[in-house]
Amino acid sequence: MNYDLSEDQSSVLSALDSILADYKAPPIEPVPFAYGAELDAILTESGFLDIAREEGFGPLDAALIVERVARSPLVVEVAASTLVAPVLPIPQGLRPIALHDGALTAPIRFLPQARALVVLRDDHAAIATIDAGQVEEIETMMAYPYGRLVEPTALSFERFDDAGLVRRRWRIGMAAEAAGCMVSALASVLEHVTTRFAFGRPLGSLQAVQHRLAMASEIAESTRWLAFRAAWSDTEADAAIAAGYAQAHISQFTYDLHQFSGAMGLTLEYPLHFWSYRLRALAGELGGASHQSRSAAAAIWGEAA
Amino acid sequence: MSETPAQFRRRARSWLETNIPSDKAPLDGIAARDYALAWQRRQFEGGWAGLAWPKKAGGCGLSILQQIIWYEEYARAGAPRTLDPLFVALNHAGPTIIACGSADQQAYHLPRILAGMVVWCQGFSEPNAGSDLAGLKMRGRIEGNELVVEGQKIWSSYADMAVWQELLIRTDPEAKISAALSWVICPMDAPGITVRPILTMAGAYKYCEVFYDNVRIPLANVVGGLNNGWATAMSTLSFERGTASLGLLIALTLRIEEMLADCPSSRPLMKARLAQLRAEAAAVRATAYRVALDNEHGVPDASGSIVRLSFSELEQRATAAAVDLYGLDGAKVIGGHGLGHEYLDAFSETIAGGTSEIQRNIIGERLLGLPKGPR
Repeated sequence: MNYDLSEDQSSVLSALDSILADYKAPPIEPVPFAYGAELDAILTESGFLDIAREEGFGPLDAALIVERVARSPLVVEVAASTLVAPVLPIPQGLRPIALHDGALTAPIRFLPQARALVVLRDDHAAIATIDAGQVEEIETMMAYPYGRLVEPTALSFERFDDAGLVRRRWRIGMAAEAAGCMVSALASVLEHVTTRFAFGRPLGSLQAVQHRLAMASEIAESTRWLAFRAAWSDTEADAAIAAGYAQAHISQFTYDLHQFSGAMGLTLEYPLHFWSYRLRALAGELGGASHQSRSAAAAIWGEAA
Repeated sequence: MSETPAQFRRRARSWLETNIPSDKAPLDGIAARDYALAWQRRQFEGGWAGLAWPKKAGGCGLSILQQIIWYEEYARAGAPRTLDPLFVALNHAGPTIIACGSADQQAYHLPRILAGMVVWCQGFSEPNAGSDLAGLKMRGRIEGNELVVEGQKIWSSYADMAVWQELLIRTDPEAKISAALSWVICPMDAPGITVRPILTMAGAYKYCEVFYDNVRIPLANVVGGLNNGWATAMSTLSFERGTASLGLLIALTLRIEEMLADCPSSRPLMKARLAQLRAEAAAVRATAYRVALDNEHGVPDASGSIVRLSFSELEQRATAAAVDLYGLDGAKVIGGHGLGHEYLDAFSETIAGGTSEIQRNIIGERLLGLPKGPR
């Protein structure tokens, strides 16, 4: 694995950063989340979300984009579109895409925006197109839009046999998205503890604060590199390790960041929740950390593990 | 012949079974206030308010053991959560006025608190002074027999519905902090007070900012003596750290039991995690009982910080486990009264009433006798 970005990757990320620069500011109103519809449209039109379909590019380039976009306080469906859709019989441009692995009656992330739904089962994936009339938006506190199918039995699904491929790409996307959220969440708290004074000194000068933020930084950096490694190798073991590591550490990571943001960090007027809520939602995906860890063990050491 | 603990338990259980509200407590607003006041009134009229408060303070004068039994039965019956709009009145203001208030203050305020007539809020934190109470800047200057107060407080839970506030202000600008503050009973309807509720990440309007523009408060409202507010405030925080969380702790223990019962055998790792939480809950509960019994007749000592620290962190771990057990879309998790709300609300537990870091400092310095380090 080469840790340096290629010339093409640098160019892509530079162009993406110039777009994202206009979407760094959190919404003014205190809201649990804000879907970046305008950002979504720009990313779609400029072709970033189709990068893995382009000659010479692949899942690693897609993961780089997922991680970068996830740093925005605005939420946009990127992971499924860039990493999962290219391996499925979904027409290019039919997005956003909602990924789901539970009962069809349950709340589904991104369903209110989705034009396609991918349901992952043990031995296959099922794909359906969605229109707005089939979805009821539901209230959520987890920084993503969630919706419920009004009449699940009315959907017509197409079968896709390689469930493992879908699961693998989903895991990579989830880890990359978590990594991006961690970068911005940590940055917002570092700024707070640098400028906030208590006991006559910046909060960040206290060792109790420094040590745990150093650990948070270690988690964020590890999540990021594991996600990129999984995208680069595109293997089941690496994908499960990246997703499992991220999920296993999200709880401690978010608690520490909220702790050092103080009471301000508990309000919707402070931006931390735009990333911490998303992280919490991601922590429960695909069965959670222990499920990914068992999958990684099985992939590396076989069923005997 | 006095009532045995077992008889007391039976009587408490019987009363709770027939009297707890059938509807859930609203999360915020006037509806939350009215619900909490009505429930407190019902307990008062039934003879179950202020169980461990002294009789001369209007309480029942019962032992701390009986108080513990009440909390156990209260949690077992599924009675409303005690972290409600009356928490400050019953667990901060009341005990502080009992410990430090004048006879007039006790005679006026304690009956109203116990009878469920008033909501109190806390006014300690300021925008630039949270954990660092010594950094308080808000001034109160003396004019005749009044204090004239100007400034801002923040994180004042339920200030939007409170009648009174326990307000900590700097009344001597020159003195060291231990002789600079006063703990004052502030009427929230005084001219010059503006309250702005803040939406929390758990989805409720609980915290408020309070702005004071030349608010006049009678000097007679000072509790514990002018410029002695640091000591009075430490009493208040000792109550919060010591005994106030007993009811919440017992309810949390039962919640973990319920989670263990709900956990399917196909999830052995989750079962092990819950069993570990159950063990931790038993340990915290034993510590909390010990601290409560040791401090039966006075202001809780610094060991209350052990209870506060271990309870708050346990609650965060337990609510996180609940979300993992039932799933983000689980029936017990979603909705305003779901565990998802409690999970998000629990983030505040290790910040309010002194952060976990402050509690660790107290334990290290005051219980273990370690040298005081730089803050």
